[in-house]
Amino acid sequence: MAIQVCTERGGNLSEPILETKSLSKAFGGLVALDKVDLAIEAGKITAIIGPNGAGKTTLFNVITGIYPASDGEVLFQGTPLKDTPPHKRAALGIARTFQNVLLFGNMTVLENIMTGQHPRSRYGFIGAALRLPKAHREEETISLNAMKYLNMVGLGTHAEQNALSLPLGQQKLLAIARALATEPQLLLLDEPGAGLNKLEKQELSDLIRRIRENRISVILVEHDMPLVMGLAEWVIVLDSGQKIAEGTAAQIQKDQRVIAAYLGEEVE
Amino acid sequence: MLARLKGKWTYFVIAALLLFLILIPFNWSLGQYTVLMIFIGLFTMVTVGLCLLLGYTGQVSLGQATFYGTGAYISAVLSKICGVNPWLAMLIAAVATGAFAYVIGYPIFRLRGNYLAVATLALGVIVYILLRQLGPGGPDGMAGIPYLSIGGFVFDTSFKRYFLVWFFCLAVLLISQNIVRSRTGRALRAIHGSEAAAESIGINVDQFKVKIFVLSAVYASLAGSLLAHQMSHISPGSFSPLVSIIIVVMAVIGGLASVWGAIFGAATVSILKYELLLGFGEWDIVIYGLILMLVMIFMPEGLFVRLRELYGRWRFRYAQRGAET
Repeated sequence: MAIQVCTERGGNLSEPILETKSLSKAFGGLVALDKVDLAIEAGKITAIIGPNGAGKTTLFNVITGIYPASDGEVLFQGTPLKDTPPHKRAALGIARTFQNVLLFGNMTVLENIMTGQHPRSRYGFIGAALRLPKAHREEETISLNAMKYLNMVGLGTHAEQNALSLPLGQQKLLAIARALATEPQLLLLDEPGAGLNKLEKQELSDLIRRIRENRISVILVEHDMPLVMGLAEWVIVLDSGQKIAEGTAAQIQKDQRVIAAYLGEEVE
Repeated sequence: MLARLKGKWTYFVIAALLLFLILIPFNWSLGQYTVLMIFIGLFTMVTVGLCLLLGYTGQVSLGQATFYGTGAYISAVLSKICGVNPWLAMLIAAVATGAFAYVIGYPIFRLRGNYLAVATLALGVIVYILLRQLGPGGPDGMAGIPYLSIGGFVFDTSFKRYFLVWFFCLAVLLISQNIVRSRTGRALRAIHGSEAAAESIGINVDQFKVKIFVLSAVYASLAGSLLAHQMSHISPGSFSPLVSIIIVVMAVIGGLASVWGAIFGAATVSILKYELLLGFGEWDIVIYGLILMLVMIFMPEGLFVRLRELYGRWRFRYAQRGAET
Protein backbone atom coordinates (compact mmCIF):
# COMPACT_ATOMS: atom_id res chain seq x y z
CA MET A 1 0.00 0.00 0.00
CA ALA A 2 2.72 2.41 1.03
CA ILE A 3 4.75 1.78 -2.08
CA GLN A 4 1.74 2.13 -4.28
CA VAL A 5 0.92 5.53 -2.78
CA CYS A 6 4.46 6.73 -3.18
CA THR A 7 4.73 5.72 -6.82
CA GLU A 8 1.46 7.51 -7.48
CA ARG A 9 3.16 10.61 -6.19
CA GLY A 10 5.94 10.41 -8.69
CA GLY A 11 8.23 7.54 -7.78
CA ASN A 12 9.39 8.87 -4.42
CA LEU A 13 10.15 5.75 -2.43
CA SER A 14 11.17 7.43 0.84
CA GLU A 15 9.87 5.79 4.00
CA PRO A 16 6.60 7.23 5.25
CA ILE A 17 6.76 9.04 8.59
CA LEU A 18 3.53 7.47 9.74
CA GLU A 19 1.67 4.37 8.64
CA THR A 20 -1.48 2.73 9.81
CA LYS A 21 -2.17 -0.84 8.89
CA SER A 22 -5.73 -2.08 8.94
CA LEU A 23 -6.32 0.25 11.88
CA SER A 24 -9.70 -0.18 13.55
CA LYS A 25 -11.33 1.37 16.56
CA ALA A 26 -14.73 0.45 17.92
CA PHE A 27 -16.56 2.00 20.85
CA GLY A 28 -18.84 -0.83 21.89
CA GLY A 29 -20.86 -1.49 18.74
CA LEU A 30 -19.94 1.76 17.06
CA VAL A 31 -17.12 1.33 14.56
CA ALA A 32 -15.30 4.67 14.44
CA LEU A 33 -12.36 3.46 12.34
CA ASP A 34 -12.68 0.51 9.99
CA LYS A 35 -9.48 -1.07 8.67
CA VAL A 36 -7.82 2.19 7.73
CA ASP A 37 -4.54 1.92 5.80
CA LEU A 38 -2.57 5.13 5.58
CA ALA A 39 0.95 6.06 4.61
CA ILE A 40 1.83 9.65 5.39
CA GLU A 41 4.79 10.92 3.46
CA ALA A 42 7.48 12.69 5.44
CA GLY A 43 7.92 16.42 5.05
CA LYS A 44 4.55 17.03 3.47
CA ILE A 45 1.27 18.61 4.48
CA THR A 46 -1.42 15.95 4.44
CA ALA A 47 -5.07 16.78 5.03
CA ILE A 48 -7.65 14.37 6.35
CA ILE A 49 -11.16 15.41 5.46
CA GLY A 50 -14.56 13.87 5.77
CA PRO A 51 -18.07 14.57 6.99
CA ASN A 52 -18.80 14.86 10.71
CA GLY A 53 -18.43 11.55 12.47
CA ALA A 54 -16.12 10.17 9.81
CA GLY A 55 -13.56 9.22 12.47
CA LYS A 56 -10.98 11.94 11.90
CA THR A 57 -10.49 12.93 15.52
CA THR A 58 -10.66 9.28 16.60
CA LEU A 59 -7.83 8.62 14.17
CA PHE A 60 -5.76 11.35 15.87
CA ASN A 61 -6.58 9.94 19.28
CA VAL A 62 -5.47 6.46 18.24
CA ILE A 63 -2.29 7.78 16.61
CA THR A 64 -1.37 9.73 19.76
CA GLY A 65 -2.27 6.83 22.03
CA ILE A 66 -5.19 8.38 23.91
CA TYR A 67 -7.32 5.46 22.73
CA PRO A 68 -5.84 2.01 22.20
CA ALA A 69 -6.53 0.59 18.75
CA SER A 70 -9.11 -2.21 18.62
CA ASP A 71 -7.21 -3.83 15.78
CA GLY A 72 -4.38 -3.10 13.40
CA GLU A 73 -1.35 -1.00 14.12
CA VAL A 74 0.25 2.41 13.93
CA LEU A 75 3.87 2.69 12.81
CA PHE A 76 5.87 5.84 13.41
CA GLN A 77 9.04 5.99 11.31
CA GLY A 78 8.72 2.26 10.80
CA THR A 79 8.40 1.40 14.51
CA PRO A 80 5.11 -0.06 15.77
CA LEU A 81 3.59 1.99 18.61
CA LYS A 82 1.49 -0.75 20.12
CA ASP A 83 1.77 -0.17 23.86
CA THR A 84 3.54 3.18 23.79
CA PRO A 85 1.72 5.56 26.17
CA PRO A 86 0.80 9.06 24.89
CA HIS A 87 3.60 10.90 26.72
CA LYS A 88 6.21 8.61 25.15
CA ARG A 89 4.74 9.15 21.70
CA ALA A 90 5.18 12.86 22.25
CA ALA A 91 8.80 12.27 23.19
CA LEU A 92 9.26 10.17 20.02
CA GLY A 93 8.19 13.16 17.96
CA ILE A 94 4.41 13.13 17.53
CA ALA A 95 2.82 16.41 18.62
CA ARG A 96 -0.77 17.48 18.34
CA THR A 97 -3.30 20.21 18.95
CA PHE A 98 -6.88 19.74 20.07
CA GLN A 99 -10.19 20.84 18.61
CA ASN A 100 -11.06 22.49 21.91
CA VAL A 101 -7.55 24.02 22.17
CA LEU A 102 -6.88 22.88 25.80
CA LEU A 103 -4.34 25.51 26.76
CA PHE A 104 -3.07 25.62 30.34
CA GLY A 105 -5.24 28.39 31.76
CA ASN A 106 -3.17 28.59 34.94
CA MET A 107 -0.10 29.79 33.05
CA THR A 108 1.13 32.65 30.95
CA VAL A 109 1.50 32.42 27.19
CA LEU A 110 5.25 31.90 27.49
CA GLU A 111 4.91 29.29 30.24
CA ASN A 112 2.55 27.29 28.04
CA ILE A 113 5.26 27.06 25.41
CA MET A 114 7.99 26.39 27.98
CA THR A 115 5.92 23.46 29.22
CA GLY A 116 5.98 22.15 25.66
CA GLN A 117 9.75 21.76 26.00
CA HIS A 118 9.18 19.06 28.62
CA PRO A 119 10.29 16.07 26.52
CA ARG A 120 13.40 17.95 25.35
CA SER A 121 14.67 18.63 28.86
CA ARG A 122 15.61 16.22 31.58
CA TYR A 123 16.10 17.62 35.06
CA GLY A 124 13.57 16.54 37.66
CA PHE A 125 12.47 17.05 41.24
CA ILE A 126 15.93 16.98 42.80
CA GLY A 127 17.52 19.26 40.24
CA ALA A 128 14.63 21.68 40.72
CA ALA A 129 14.54 21.47 44.53
CA LEU A 130 18.25 22.17 44.94
CA ARG A 131 18.58 24.47 41.91
CA LEU A 132 21.46 22.42 40.55
CA PRO A 133 23.58 24.02 37.82
CA LYS A 134 22.16 21.47 35.37
CA ALA A 135 18.65 22.77 36.09
CA HIS A 136 19.78 26.33 35.59
CA ARG A 137 21.40 25.56 32.23
CA GLU A 138 18.37 23.66 31.01
CA GLU A 139 16.02 26.44 32.09
CA GLU A 140 18.01 28.90 29.98
CA THR A 141 17.70 26.69 26.93
CA ILE A 142 14.00 26.16 27.60
CA SER A 143 13.37 29.92 27.81
CA LEU A 144 15.36 30.64 24.67
CA ASN A 145 13.59 27.94 22.67
CA ALA A 146 10.20 28.99 24.00
CA MET A 147 10.86 32.57 22.86
CA LYS A 148 11.77 31.21 19.44
CA TYR A 149 8.44 29.41 19.06
CA LEU A 150 6.59 32.35 20.57
CA ASN A 151 7.99 34.64 17.89
CA MET A 152 7.44 32.03 15.20
CA VAL A 153 3.68 32.17 15.78
CA GLY A 154 3.78 35.95 16.19
CA LEU A 155 2.78 36.18 19.84
CA GLY A 156 6.01 37.80 21.02
CA THR A 157 4.26 40.78 22.58
CA HIS A 158 1.90 38.61 24.64
CA ALA A 159 4.47 36.52 26.52
CA GLU A 160 3.44 37.47 30.06
CA GLN A 161 -0.31 37.45 29.48
CA ASN A 162 -2.50 34.68 30.80
CA ALA A 163 -3.01 32.15 28.03
CA LEU A 164 -6.80 32.29 28.16
CA SER A 165 -6.87 36.08 27.91
CA LEU A 166 -5.96 35.75 24.22
CA PRO A 167 -8.69 35.76 21.56
CA LEU A 168 -9.48 32.35 20.07
CA GLY A 169 -7.37 32.87 16.96
CA GLN A 170 -4.26 33.56 19.01
CA GLN A 171 -5.08 30.77 21.44
CA LYS A 172 -4.97 28.37 18.51
CA LEU A 173 -1.61 29.75 17.40
CA LEU A 174 -0.36 29.35 20.95
CA ALA A 175 -1.51 25.72 21.00
CA ILE A 176 0.51 25.15 17.83
CA ALA A 177 3.53 26.84 19.39
CA ARG A 178 3.21 24.63 22.46
CA ALA A 179 3.10 21.55 20.22
CA LEU A 180 6.09 22.80 18.20
CA ALA A 181 8.04 23.28 21.42
CA THR A 182 8.10 19.51 21.84
CA GLU A 183 10.27 19.57 18.69
CA PRO A 184 8.20 17.02 16.79
CA GLN A 185 8.79 15.33 13.46
CA LEU A 186 5.07 14.99 12.93
CA LEU A 187 2.46 17.56 13.89
CA LEU A 188 -1.23 16.68 14.03
CA LEU A 189 -3.55 19.68 13.83
CA ASP A 190 -7.16 19.02 14.76
CA GLU A 191 -9.36 21.63 13.06
CA PRO A 192 -6.93 24.51 13.44
CA GLY A 193 -9.11 26.77 11.29
CA ALA A 194 -12.40 26.30 13.12
CA GLY A 195 -13.73 29.54 14.53
CA LEU A 196 -11.12 31.73 12.88
CA ASN A 197 -11.87 34.73 10.67
CA LYS A 198 -10.46 35.16 7.19
CA LEU A 199 -7.36 37.07 8.26
CA GLU A 200 -6.59 34.60 11.04
CA LYS A 201 -6.97 31.74 8.57
CA GLN A 202 -4.46 33.42 6.29
CA GLU A 203 -2.00 33.69 9.19
CA LEU A 204 -2.63 30.07 10.01
CA SER A 205 -1.89 28.93 6.44
CA ASP A 206 1.33 30.92 6.43
CA LEU A 207 2.34 29.38 9.74
CA ILE A 208 1.61 25.83 8.56
CA ARG A 209 3.75 26.44 5.46
CA ARG A 210 6.59 27.70 7.64
CA ILE A 211 6.27 24.61 9.81
CA ARG A 212 6.62 22.45 6.72
CA GLU A 213 9.69 24.43 5.68
CA ASN A 214 11.19 23.39 9.00
CA ARG A 215 10.91 19.79 7.80
CA ILE A 216 8.06 18.90 10.09
CA SER A 217 5.41 16.68 8.55
CA VAL A 218 1.91 18.01 9.12
CA ILE A 219 -1.39 16.15 9.21
CA LEU A 220 -4.37 18.41 9.20
CA VAL A 221 -7.98 17.61 10.03
CA GLU A 222 -10.03 20.45 8.69
CA HIS A 223 -13.49 21.30 7.44
CA ASP A 224 -12.58 24.53 5.70
CA MET A 225 -12.15 23.40 2.10
CA PRO A 226 -10.39 26.48 0.69
CA LEU A 227 -7.86 26.21 3.54
CA VAL A 228 -7.33 22.50 2.89
CA MET A 229 -7.11 22.82 -0.89
CA GLY A 230 -4.67 25.71 -0.61
CA LEU A 231 -2.36 23.90 1.80
CA ALA A 232 -2.51 20.17 1.43
CA GLU A 233 -0.17 18.30 -0.87
CA TRP A 234 -2.08 15.10 -0.28
CA VAL A 235 -5.67 14.68 0.80
CA ILE A 236 -7.18 11.62 2.46
CA VAL A 237 -10.94 11.30 2.70
CA LEU A 238 -12.61 9.37 5.49
CA ASP A 239 -16.28 8.52 5.65
CA SER A 240 -17.94 6.39 8.34
CA GLY A 241 -14.55 5.24 9.56
CA GLN A 242 -13.32 4.10 6.17
CA LYS A 243 -10.84 5.63 3.79
CA ILE A 244 -12.84 6.30 0.64
CA ALA A 245 -10.29 8.22 -1.40
CA GLU A 246 -6.91 9.87 -1.44
CA GLY A 247 -4.99 11.97 -3.86
CA THR A 248 -3.98 15.51 -4.65
CA ALA A 249 -6.44 18.30 -3.96
CA ALA A 250 -7.39 18.45 -7.64
CA GLN A 251 -7.99 14.70 -7.86
CA ILE A 252 -10.13 14.70 -4.73
CA GLN A 253 -12.34 17.52 -5.90
CA LYS A 254 -13.29 15.43 -8.94
CA ASP A 255 -13.72 12.14 -7.10
CA GLN A 256 -17.28 10.84 -7.37
CA ARG A 257 -17.25 8.98 -4.03
CA VAL A 258 -16.09 12.09 -2.23
CA ILE A 259 -18.76 14.24 -3.84
CA ALA A 260 -21.35 11.62 -2.92
CA ALA A 261 -20.17 11.48 0.69
CA TYR A 262 -20.35 15.23 1.07
CA LEU A 263 -23.57 15.78 -0.85
CA GLY A 264 -25.13 12.84 0.96
CA GLU A 265 -24.39 14.59 4.20
CA GLU A 266 -25.93 17.81 3.01
CA VAL A 267 -29.15 16.19 1.80
CA GLU A 268 -29.58 14.75 5.27
CA MET B 1 4.39 47.04 36.01
CA LEU B 2 2.19 44.84 38.14
CA ALA B 3 4.53 41.93 37.66
CA ARG B 4 7.49 43.98 38.91
CA LEU B 5 5.63 45.13 41.97
CA LYS B 6 4.65 41.57 42.63
CA GLY B 7 8.31 40.49 42.56
CA LYS B 8 9.36 43.21 45.02
CA TRP B 9 6.44 42.39 47.24
CA THR B 10 7.63 38.82 47.53
CA TYR B 11 11.12 39.83 48.67
CA PHE B 12 9.70 42.36 51.09
CA VAL B 13 7.43 39.78 52.63
CA ILE B 14 10.17 37.19 52.93
CA ALA B 15 12.57 39.66 54.57
CA ALA B 16 9.93 40.94 57.00
CA LEU B 17 8.87 37.40 57.78
CA LEU B 18 12.41 36.25 58.54
CA LEU B 19 13.03 39.21 60.82
CA PHE B 20 9.75 38.63 62.61
CA LEU B 21 10.49 34.93 62.97
CA ILE B 22 13.92 35.55 64.46
CA LEU B 23 12.63 38.13 66.92
CA ILE B 24 9.64 36.22 68.32
CA PRO B 25 11.36 33.99 70.89
CA PHE B 26 13.57 36.83 72.15
CA ASN B 27 10.77 39.29 72.67
CA TRP B 28 9.30 38.97 76.17
CA SER B 29 5.79 39.90 75.05
CA LEU B 30 5.78 37.70 71.97
CA GLY B 31 7.88 34.99 73.65
CA GLN B 32 4.77 33.41 75.15
CA TYR B 33 3.75 32.50 71.61
CA THR B 34 6.86 30.43 70.93
CA VAL B 35 5.00 27.14 71.32
CA LEU B 36 2.19 28.40 69.11
CA MET B 37 4.78 29.39 66.52
CA ILE B 38 6.26 25.88 66.64
CA PHE B 39 2.86 24.47 65.74
CA ILE B 40 2.46 27.01 62.96
CA GLY B 41 5.82 25.89 61.58
CA LEU B 42 4.84 22.22 61.70
CA PHE B 43 1.45 22.82 60.11
CA THR B 44 3.07 24.99 57.45
CA MET B 45 5.22 22.03 56.41
CA VAL B 46 2.17 19.79 56.03
CA THR B 47 0.17 22.52 54.30
CA VAL B 48 2.87 23.28 51.72
CA GLY B 49 2.76 19.63 50.67
CA LEU B 50 -0.98 19.86 50.20
CA CYS B 51 -0.60 23.14 48.28
CA LEU B 52 1.75 21.43 45.83
CA LEU B 53 -0.64 18.51 45.47
CA LEU B 54 -3.99 20.30 45.48
CA GLY B 55 -3.16 23.84 44.43
CA TYR B 56 -0.57 23.18 41.75
CA THR B 57 -1.36 19.68 40.52
CA GLY B 58 -5.10 19.78 41.16
CA GLN B 59 -5.23 16.48 43.06
CA VAL B 60 -7.35 16.44 46.20
CA SER B 61 -6.09 14.78 49.34
CA LEU B 62 -8.22 14.75 52.46
CA GLY B 63 -5.74 12.50 54.23
CA GLN B 64 -2.57 14.51 54.79
CA ALA B 65 -2.78 13.97 58.56
CA THR B 66 -2.18 10.28 57.82
CA PHE B 67 1.41 10.94 56.82
CA TYR B 68 1.86 13.43 59.65
CA GLY B 69 0.82 10.56 61.91
CA THR B 70 2.93 7.81 60.37
CA GLY B 71 5.95 10.12 60.53
CA ALA B 72 5.35 10.83 64.22
CA TYR B 73 4.64 7.22 65.18
CA ILE B 74 7.51 5.65 63.24
CA SER B 75 9.89 8.20 64.72
CA ALA B 76 8.53 7.67 68.22
CA VAL B 77 8.56 3.89 68.13
CA LEU B 78 12.02 3.65 66.62
CA SER B 79 13.65 6.13 68.98
CA LYS B 80 11.84 5.18 72.18
CA ILE B 81 11.30 1.42 71.89
CA CYS B 82 14.12 0.40 69.54
CA GLY B 83 16.61 2.96 70.81
CA VAL B 84 17.43 4.33 67.37
CA ASN B 85 19.03 7.78 67.21
CA PRO B 86 16.16 10.30 66.83
CA TRP B 87 17.68 11.84 63.68
CA LEU B 88 18.00 8.44 62.08
CA ALA B 89 14.47 7.61 63.24
CA MET B 90 13.25 10.78 61.55
CA LEU B 91 15.00 9.83 58.32
CA ILE B 92 13.66 6.28 58.39
CA ALA B 93 10.16 7.64 59.09
CA ALA B 94 10.40 9.96 56.09
CA VAL B 95 11.63 7.20 53.78
CA ALA B 96 9.03 4.72 55.04
CA THR B 97 6.19 7.23 54.76
CA GLY B 98 7.35 8.20 51.29
CA ALA B 99 7.44 4.54 50.28
CA PHE B 100 3.96 4.03 51.76
CA ALA B 101 2.64 7.01 49.76
CA TYR B 102 4.31 5.62 46.63
CA VAL B 103 2.70 2.21 47.04
CA ILE B 104 -0.80 3.57 47.62
CA GLY B 105 -0.22 6.39 45.12
CA TYR B 106 -0.50 4.34 41.94
CA PRO B 107 -3.87 2.73 42.72
CA ILE B 108 -5.30 5.84 44.39
CA PHE B 109 -4.51 8.17 41.47
CA ARG B 110 -6.54 6.00 39.14
CA LEU B 111 -9.33 7.94 40.81
CA ARG B 112 -10.15 11.55 40.11
CA GLY B 113 -11.98 14.43 41.75
CA ASN B 114 -14.52 13.44 44.37
CA TYR B 115 -13.54 9.77 44.25
CA LEU B 116 -9.94 10.66 45.00
CA ALA B 117 -11.09 12.88 47.87
CA VAL B 118 -13.15 10.06 49.39
CA ALA B 119 -10.34 7.52 48.94
CA THR B 120 -7.79 9.73 50.71
CA LEU B 121 -10.31 10.48 53.44
CA ALA B 122 -10.85 6.75 53.89
CA LEU B 123 -7.11 6.22 54.09
CA GLY B 124 -6.98 8.78 56.89
CA VAL B 125 -9.80 7.05 58.77
CA ILE B 126 -8.17 3.62 58.43
CA VAL B 127 -4.76 4.75 59.64
CA TYR B 128 -6.33 6.73 62.49
CA ILE B 129 -8.26 3.68 63.69
CA LEU B 130 -5.17 1.48 63.37
CA LEU B 131 -3.17 3.94 65.48
CA ARG B 132 -5.90 3.99 68.13
CA GLN B 133 -6.36 0.24 68.26
CA LEU B 134 -2.91 -1.14 67.50
CA GLY B 135 -0.58 1.80 68.07
CA PRO B 136 1.56 1.72 71.22
CA GLY B 137 -0.48 3.22 74.05
CA GLY B 138 -3.73 2.98 72.13
CA PRO B 139 -5.87 6.12 72.25
CA ASP B 140 -3.63 7.60 74.96
CA GLY B 141 -0.58 7.49 72.74
CA MET B 142 3.07 7.40 73.71
CA ALA B 143 5.09 9.46 76.14
CA GLY B 144 8.79 9.80 76.85
CA ILE B 145 9.93 10.11 73.25
CA PRO B 146 13.58 11.27 73.23
CA TYR B 147 14.47 14.82 72.19
CA LEU B 148 16.57 15.55 69.15
CA SER B 149 20.14 16.63 69.82
CA ILE B 150 23.25 17.69 67.95
CA GLY B 151 26.42 16.52 69.70
CA GLY B 152 25.76 17.45 73.30
CA PHE B 153 23.23 20.14 72.42
CA VAL B 154 19.75 18.84 73.26
CA PHE B 155 16.63 20.51 71.89
CA ASP B 156 14.91 20.38 75.25
CA THR B 157 13.31 23.82 75.47
CA SER B 158 10.71 25.52 73.30
CA PHE B 159 13.20 28.29 72.61
CA LYS B 160 15.67 25.85 71.02
CA ARG B 161 13.03 23.79 69.29
CA TYR B 162 11.49 26.87 67.78
CA PHE B 163 14.61 27.44 65.67
CA LEU B 164 14.88 23.76 64.81
CA VAL B 165 11.31 23.62 63.52
CA TRP B 166 11.53 26.84 61.56
CA PHE B 167 14.82 25.75 60.04
CA PHE B 168 13.05 22.71 58.61
CA CYS B 169 9.97 24.69 57.73
CA LEU B 170 11.86 27.34 55.77
CA ALA B 171 13.92 24.65 54.04
CA VAL B 172 10.71 22.94 52.96
CA LEU B 173 9.27 26.26 51.74
CA LEU B 174 12.40 27.07 49.80
CA ILE B 175 12.55 23.65 48.18
CA SER B 176 8.87 23.91 47.27
CA GLN B 177 9.35 27.36 45.82
CA ASN B 178 12.21 26.04 43.68
CA ILE B 179 10.13 23.14 42.47
CA VAL B 180 7.20 25.37 41.58
CA ARG B 181 9.41 27.60 39.45
CA SER B 182 10.89 24.78 37.42
CA ARG B 183 10.24 22.32 34.66
CA THR B 184 8.70 20.05 37.27
CA GLY B 185 6.46 22.83 38.56
CA ARG B 186 5.23 23.59 35.06
CA ALA B 187 4.49 19.91 34.50
CA LEU B 188 2.44 19.84 37.71
CA ARG B 189 0.46 22.93 36.72
CA ALA B 190 -0.03 21.48 33.24
CA ILE B 191 -1.66 18.42 34.80
CA HIS B 192 -3.98 20.76 36.69
CA GLY B 193 -4.73 22.68 33.49
CA SER B 194 -5.49 19.71 31.23
CA GLU B 195 -4.33 16.14 31.63
CA ALA B 196 -4.91 15.35 27.94
CA ALA B 197 -2.85 18.34 26.84
CA ALA B 198 -0.14 17.54 29.40
CA GLU B 199 0.19 14.01 28.03
CA SER B 200 0.25 15.32 24.47
CA ILE B 201 3.42 17.27 25.22
CA GLY B 202 5.20 14.36 26.82
CA ILE B 203 4.36 14.73 30.51
CA ASN B 204 4.00 11.43 32.34
CA VAL B 205 0.85 12.43 34.20
CA ASP B 206 0.48 9.37 36.46
CA GLN B 207 4.09 9.45 37.50
CA PHE B 208 4.09 13.16 38.36
CA LYS B 209 0.92 12.78 40.44
CA VAL B 210 2.48 9.99 42.45
CA LYS B 211 5.80 11.81 42.86
CA ILE B 212 4.21 14.97 44.19
CA PHE B 213 2.02 12.86 46.48
CA VAL B 214 5.17 11.21 47.83
CA LEU B 215 6.82 14.60 48.35
CA SER B 216 3.81 15.92 50.24
CA ALA B 217 3.84 12.77 52.38
CA VAL B 218 7.55 13.23 53.15
CA TYR B 219 6.94 16.84 54.22
CA ALA B 220 4.13 15.70 56.50
CA SER B 221 6.26 12.89 57.86
CA LEU B 222 9.12 15.26 58.73
CA ALA B 223 6.65 17.54 60.49
CA GLY B 224 5.24 14.54 62.36
CA SER B 225 8.72 13.42 63.47
CA LEU B 226 9.57 16.91 64.66
CA LEU B 227 6.30 16.96 66.59
CA ALA B 228 7.04 13.60 68.25
CA HIS B 229 10.58 14.52 69.25
CA GLN B 230 9.67 17.88 70.66
CA MET B 231 6.40 17.17 72.46
CA SER B 232 7.88 13.89 73.68
CA HIS B 233 4.24 12.81 73.80
CA ILE B 234 1.95 11.95 70.91
CA SER B 235 -1.54 10.50 70.63
CA PRO B 236 -3.70 9.45 67.68
CA GLY B 237 -5.97 12.48 68.18
CA SER B 238 -3.31 14.75 66.66
CA PHE B 239 -3.61 12.82 63.39
CA SER B 240 -7.34 12.29 63.11
CA PRO B 241 -9.25 12.82 59.86
CA LEU B 242 -10.43 16.11 61.38
CA VAL B 243 -6.84 17.32 61.33
CA SER B 244 -6.69 16.47 57.62
CA ILE B 245 -9.68 18.73 57.07
CA ILE B 246 -8.06 21.52 59.09
CA ILE B 247 -5.00 21.20 56.88
CA VAL B 248 -7.25 21.66 53.85
CA VAL B 249 -8.65 24.82 55.47
CA MET B 250 -5.10 26.09 56.01
CA ALA B 251 -4.21 25.44 52.36
CA VAL B 252 -7.37 27.12 51.13
CA ILE B 253 -6.88 30.22 53.26
CA GLY B 254 -3.26 30.44 52.15
CA GLY B 255 -4.29 30.32 48.54
CA LEU B 256 -3.89 26.88 47.10
CA ALA B 257 -1.39 27.77 44.41
CA SER B 258 0.93 29.75 46.65
CA VAL B 259 3.88 28.35 48.55
CA TRP B 260 4.34 31.24 50.97
CA GLY B 261 0.59 31.49 51.51
CA ALA B 262 0.90 28.21 53.41
CA ILE B 263 2.48 30.05 56.36
CA PHE B 264 -0.38 32.52 56.33
CA GLY B 265 -2.98 29.76 56.20
CA ALA B 266 -1.28 27.67 58.89
CA ALA B 267 -0.88 30.75 61.11
CA THR B 268 -4.46 31.93 60.71
CA VAL B 269 -5.99 28.59 61.56
CA SER B 270 -3.48 27.81 64.34
CA ILE B 271 -4.14 31.16 66.01
CA LEU B 272 -7.86 30.47 65.80
CA LYS B 273 -7.44 26.92 67.07
CA TYR B 274 -5.01 27.48 69.91
CA GLU B 275 -5.88 31.04 70.99
CA LEU B 276 -9.09 32.65 69.79
CA LEU B 277 -11.43 29.67 69.67
CA LEU B 278 -10.29 27.91 72.85
CA GLY B 279 -13.61 28.72 74.50
CA PHE B 280 -15.52 27.00 71.70
CA GLY B 281 -14.19 23.56 72.57
CA GLU B 282 -15.22 21.02 69.95
CA TRP B 283 -17.40 23.60 68.22
CA ASP B 284 -14.37 25.22 66.59
CA ILE B 285 -14.80 22.89 63.60
CA VAL B 286 -18.00 24.77 62.76
CA ILE B 287 -15.98 27.95 62.42
CA TYR B 288 -13.43 26.23 60.13
CA GLY B 289 -16.26 24.90 58.01
CA LEU B 290 -17.73 28.36 57.75
CA ILE B 291 -14.36 29.87 56.81
CA LEU B 292 -13.82 27.17 54.21
CA MET B 293 -17.21 27.86 52.64
CA LEU B 294 -16.83 31.62 52.65
CA VAL B 295 -13.34 31.53 51.18
CA MET B 296 -14.34 29.06 48.48
CA ILE B 297 -17.40 31.13 47.53
CA PHE B 298 -15.96 34.63 47.64
CA MET B 299 -12.26 34.18 47.00
CA PRO B 300 -11.57 30.75 45.52
CA GLU B 301 -7.99 31.81 44.81
CA GLY B 302 -7.41 31.98 48.59
CA LEU B 303 -7.43 34.72 51.19
CA PHE B 304 -3.67 35.26 51.09
CA VAL B 305 -3.51 35.46 47.29
CA ARG B 306 -6.51 37.81 47.27
CA LEU B 307 -4.91 40.13 49.84
CA ARG B 308 -1.67 40.12 47.86
CA GLU B 309 -3.58 41.04 44.73
CA LEU B 310 -5.40 43.87 46.48
CA TYR B 311 -2.09 45.16 47.82
CA GLY B 312 -0.56 44.98 44.34
CA ARG B 313 -3.47 46.96 42.91
CA TRP B 314 -3.23 49.52 45.68
CA ARG B 315 0.50 49.92 45.07
CA PHE B 316 -0.16 50.26 41.36
CA ARG B 317 -2.74 53.00 41.88
CA TYR B 318 -0.53 54.71 44.42
CA ALA B 319 2.39 54.67 41.97
CA GLN B 320 0.15 56.04 39.21
CA ARG B 321 -1.07 58.88 41.38
CA GLY B 322 2.52 59.63 42.30
CA ALA B 323 3.45 59.78 38.62
CA GLU B 324 0.63 62.19 37.85
CA THR B 325 1.55 64.83 40.44
